[in-house]
Amino acid sequence: MTAVGGGSGLKERLFWGLGSALVVIYALIPVAWTVSLSLKRGADLGDNHFLPRVVSLEHYEAVFRDPQFSAALWNSIGIAGISTLAAVLLGMFTAYAIVRLEFPGRRLILAAALSIAMFPSISIIGPLFNMWRTLGLYDSWLGLILPYMTFTLPLAIWILSAFFREIPWDLDKAARVDGATPLQAFVRVIVPLAAPGVFTTTILVFMFAWNDFLFAISLTSTNDARTVPAAIAFFTGSSRFQQPTGSIAAASVVVTLPIILVVLLFQRRIVAGLTSGAVKG
Amino acid sequence: MAEIELQNLTKRFAGISAVKQASFTIHDGEFFILVGPSGCGKSTLLNMIVGLEEISEGEIRVDGVRVNDLDPKDRNMAMVFQSYALYPHMSVRENVSFPLKLAKLPKEEIDKRVARAAEILELEDLLDRRPRALSGGQRQRVAMGRAIVREPKVFLLDEPLSNLDAKLRVQMRTEIARLQRRLGTTTLFVTHDQTEAMTLGDRIAVLRKGEVLQIGTPRELYEYPRNLFVAGFIGSPAMNFLPVRWSEGNLEIPIGSLAPSADIGRRVEAAEGSLVAGFRPEHLHVVGEKDEAREGLCFEVQVEVVEWLGADLFVYFNVALDGFEELALPEDLDIESGDGAHPILVARLDPTAGLRVGDKVRLHLAAEHLQLFGAASGENLTLSD
Repeated sequence: MTAVGGGSGLKERLFWGLGSALVVIYALIPVAWTVSLSLKRGADLGDNHFLPRVVSLEHYEAVFRDPQFSAALWNSIGIAGISTLAAVLLGMFTAYAIVRLEFPGRRLILAAALSIAMFPSISIIGPLFNMWRTLGLYDSWLGLILPYMTFTLPLAIWILSAFFREIPWDLDKAARVDGATPLQAFVRVIVPLAAPGVFTTTILVFMFAWNDFLFAISLTSTNDARTVPAAIAFFTGSSRFQQPTGSIAAASVVVTLPIILVVLLFQRRIVAGLTSGAVKG
Repeated sequence: MAEIELQNLTKRFAGISAVKQASFTIHDGEFFILVGPSGCGKSTLLNMIVGLEEISEGEIRVDGVRVNDLDPKDRNMAMVFQSYALYPHMSVRENVSFPLKLAKLPKEEIDKRVARAAEILELEDLLDRRPRALSGGQRQRVAMGRAIVREPKVFLLDEPLSNLDAKLRVQMRTEIARLQRRLGTTTLFVTHDQTEAMTLGDRIAVLRKGEVLQIGTPRELYEYPRNLFVAGFIGSPAMNFLPVRWSEGNLEIPIGSLAPSADIGRRVEAAEGSLVAGFRPEHLHVVGEKDEAREGLCFEVQVEVVEWLGADLFVYFNVALDGFEELALPEDLDIESGDGAHPILVARLDPTAGLRVGDKVRLHLAAEHLQLFGAASGENLTLSD
């Protein structure tokens, strides 16, 4: 490499390095601040220091001692998990049908799905509240799973149909001729190839259900179905004069962990070009 | 081993017939070719046989048993796709053993069969690679391997060579022919390339616009085409075509005139519309002035283009039509015929003739090599039924 080339390489590296650092710092400062708050002693919360002077786990202890929180955590895991599973599964079948089958109203389904996704959720909260009360779904897991699925399915269908469209149809046909039933062809050939799409969808759907506050606060009233984002709003300080800042920070850190875990776990699987080599190319 | 019988097989897409009333039998162990220009329905026909496409009308029987409503997985046919359709997330071994796993064969049997297929196709060193790490020819062989491990009744190959480069294509062509002979499995091969069809097939069916025009051995198709399209499609370079006038028992062609036999004369008389004369490039010979008396047609041309291929010499020349109506050949025949008034013809001559561009040369065509077709019906009038 020539001196000139080396110089421009260095400049380029510097540019990208600094740029990335800036973005990461910008995105992570609030998170770091929350983590720092969660580790401070109750008395130090307002001490205007970025780093805690004494690291204490008292807020975490308090949070986990609170039965309300552990119940909410369980609700969150269950509701988000089931919603994700159901939305991804249903989305997979729907997207596959839309991509592969010729039937009247294919475009209509896609358009309708998109319009549902665009629907402002706040506008249906009132009617939903009344309906759920009548139907007995209020303050139940199903009462939250249904709206989560409804709002995430369109997204799942759109992402997955984009991925399915990329998979050469010859592969289905080859599997069928090789002796697979339609379901076997789907499960053993198509789904593994659409894996990046399935994981992307899983992450997005899970985050939606996990982070949702609006439905959770409106459609629940007890520990039976209240999820963590809603439960945090019910935290109280140890006395009526104290802000529950520390506990809220600790709870926020705890609920962020699963999201980080899910993303780290699945992002390895989101590798582009998984289909290369299937057909000529 | 299987015999495939098609009876009045028809496929319609939204009212348009892609395959019309195809009826023929592929014998047990035969290497059968479906050839035709793109869009002639040959792939549709193949897909109907394997079960990927529903049958609108007619019947398919394998060894006498009707299979119309059988799922593709139950037909025990193996198919090689034009795109190879290898499963990219599986290694070569997994690809090849996939049909066996679906058939729930015991593991030792699977291993044995995969090993044998790998040996036949020289895939042993590639078994643990993924398809994306393979070259085109290797992928092709893996696709073949996946087909042969099942020991199916029938092989169906859908333009398997069209994605390979020219040299590899010739190599794989011989390899497929050898493999088929070795295994003796009934094979149906689809191609748009007449050279592949001629070199591989025991018998060939020429398809055009969903219709089977002629079925026969390569030699039959080449020497006795029943049809103007078959005559122009089979053979490379293609047959030469010229317009013909019929006047009082004489055939007048831009390169001369001659009196046909009484038999042919009768059929020409009965034919409606204009006529087309055809002759193969290799039937033209260089003759000297003295050979004037020879039977057939003698005519002088000016050499336009010379292609010397070592063993062969292709000489291209124009013929003035003056007075003859322009030739209307089927469009899908895709024959480069120059402008309407000056059709380009080609002769395959002795390379030692030493011809150059601009030379004048006398050519001779024996009368028996001239074939006559009805332009509208396409029917070959020279052949007796």
